[in-house]
Amino acid sequence: MTPLDSSAVHCTGIRKHFGEDDARVEVLRGVDYTVRRGELSFLVGPSGCGKTTLISVIAGLLETSSGEVSLFGNHLARMPHSDRVLFRRSHLGFVFQQYNLLQALTAAENAAIPLLAAGVRRREAVDRAAALLDRLGLGSRTAAYPRQLSGGQQQRVALARALVHEPRLIICDEPTAALDHATGEAVMELLASAAVHPDRAVLVVTHDSRVFRFADVIAHMDDGQITHVEPGRRTDAATHLGSSRLTNPSA
Amino acid sequence: MNWVGLQMLRNDRAKFAAMIVAVSLAVFLMQNQAAILATMLSMTAAQIRDVQDADLWVTEPEVECFDQVKAMRDIHLLRVRGIAGIAWAAPLLKIDAIGHSEGGRLNTVTVLGIDDASLAGLPHQMRVGRADAIRELNTAIIDPGGHELFFPGEPFQEGRSLRIRDRRIRIMGISDIAAPFTGLPMLHTSRSTAAALNLGEQHMTSFILARSAPGNRPEALCQKINTLGGLRARTTEQFASDAMWFYGSQGVPMLFMITITIGLIVGAAITGQTFLMFIKENARPISMLKVVGTTDRQLGTMILLQGTVVLVLGSCFGSGIAAAVCNVIRTQPFLRSLYLPWEIALGTCLALASVTGIALYASYRHVRGLEPAAVFR
Repeated sequence: MTPLDSSAVHCTGIRKHFGEDDARVEVLRGVDYTVRRGELSFLVGPSGCGKTTLISVIAGLLETSSGEVSLFGNHLARMPHSDRVLFRRSHLGFVFQQYNLLQALTAAENAAIPLLAAGVRRREAVDRAAALLDRLGLGSRTAAYPRQLSGGQQQRVALARALVHEPRLIICDEPTAALDHATGEAVMELLASAAVHPDRAVLVVTHDSRVFRFADVIAHMDDGQITHVEPGRRTDAATHLGSSRLTNPSA
Repeated sequence: MNWVGLQMLRNDRAKFAAMIVAVSLAVFLMQNQAAILATMLSMTAAQIRDVQDADLWVTEPEVECFDQVKAMRDIHLLRVRGIAGIAWAAPLLKIDAIGHSEGGRLNTVTVLGIDDASLAGLPHQMRVGRADAIRELNTAIIDPGGHELFFPGEPFQEGRSLRIRDRRIRIMGISDIAAPFTGLPMLHTSRSTAAALNLGEQHMTSFILARSAPGNRPEALCQKINTLGGLRARTTEQFASDAMWFYGSQGVPMLFMITITIGLIVGAAITGQTFLMFIKENARPISMLKVVGTTDRQLGTMILLQGTVVLVLGSCFGSGIAAAVCNVIRTQPFLRSLYLPWEIALGTCLALASVTGIALYASYRHVRGLEPAAVFR
């Protein structure tokens, strides 16, 4: 397998600017970045360094000014908009800082959204989502509405939503930023144990150094560029510990 | 995803309720005003359409409606009867006079003198009593509004009388005719009795009612009568439509149309603005849906469904209220002809849907323009 074959995300010379002339702001300044399959990769850096813009570009939500993004060998920029939406629906999962759960839906229904968007029948989608929530330790809370859940529980529902359609790339934007330390750790442990898979990559944007130990690879970003990449310290022991702790629904 | 859209709508109860109330009130206002207008216009022709045994009306050329009376010379009746294809022709005398009840109530009444021999033009439907009782001199039947006006709250008693131009007219029954546009009590009596109330007048014919013989088209007979000169013949529907047009061109419909238009604009504006606000306040969840792969087409269908639910529920409530109010008003004797045609009910709902559709389209454009990446901020 060549390095490109093993990559989930491969960015080459990504540039992105907003505005023109005097208002022009260069946010990404030639980013070369690779996330491999089976990796839990962290993208870290100070606020405003371009992390969110980079994951938006990787997810096909923003166009690049120049450079190429390839996801599992597919060049998003070359796809028509509608194909890009369908690709995202099938192959990408998302976890957001603010959870972004729909207040009108129960936990299971929220987790089922990607399946519903893909046209799966409601009953089947919700059943599959409920089964996944059960595996994530929220089996007793599937019928609860977001307002009835703690922050950690809501983020676990968001994680279930990211996993339910078995995507090949999961993008997490500051998944622990809105959580206290213990809950943040619990969510990261769950992410490490439930999301990492040999054919799947997990890309986590964070500036929470307390969770760096969960990463396989940490890419540091500053001023629109990847400054350096270092190996992380994730261990199987930590993952195992995490799985057992995470099934505590009160977390 | 449509189900998700409906859940989002249901969850925002305040806006959901506000939109339904706005649609309901707009539909009610439009239907109510349109129903009153339609009823008023139909009332201008009610006395013409109530005469079911004749299919031709002959008048003086200047007459435009039932309430314009110009006495006709009796010779005209003979001229009409002489037209080939006319089965029969009968005079109808219409006079307005002051009536006094035994209880001291006083009101202008319209008296219709029916041809004694043929009784052509006599009401076919009666609430109480027999219509042909008017063959007896100085008797009449009265319409429900008239009975309520002269004998309020009292049950019908045969033989009670009204004093009209120093004659005592005994009431023999209550007719079931449509309410007249003028709102005046309507008395049907024999032409002999009516003529006795019309002393001093030279001519005792206001309209000539005629029936076409089998195999003759009423329109063709009208043309024949019109060629005689000095007469104007119309079919029942032509005369009814002329009457409605005459009153319709007096400006009153314009006032109703203004109210209906205001209802449409206000209803659509409130509904549209609230819906757009609902969409804008849900921009973040909608962006999330876009990020996870919901297509613009799915979101468009979702918005269309949400709008349709609001419009259908609001229209149902509004139409229900309009129909209920209509039924309550109809219990008043003089307003008994008020009705809400299904064409008006459907038309007002469609008009509101069309205008609100603009807001739905604006909402869809807003959703299409939402930047999904904003969900990361």
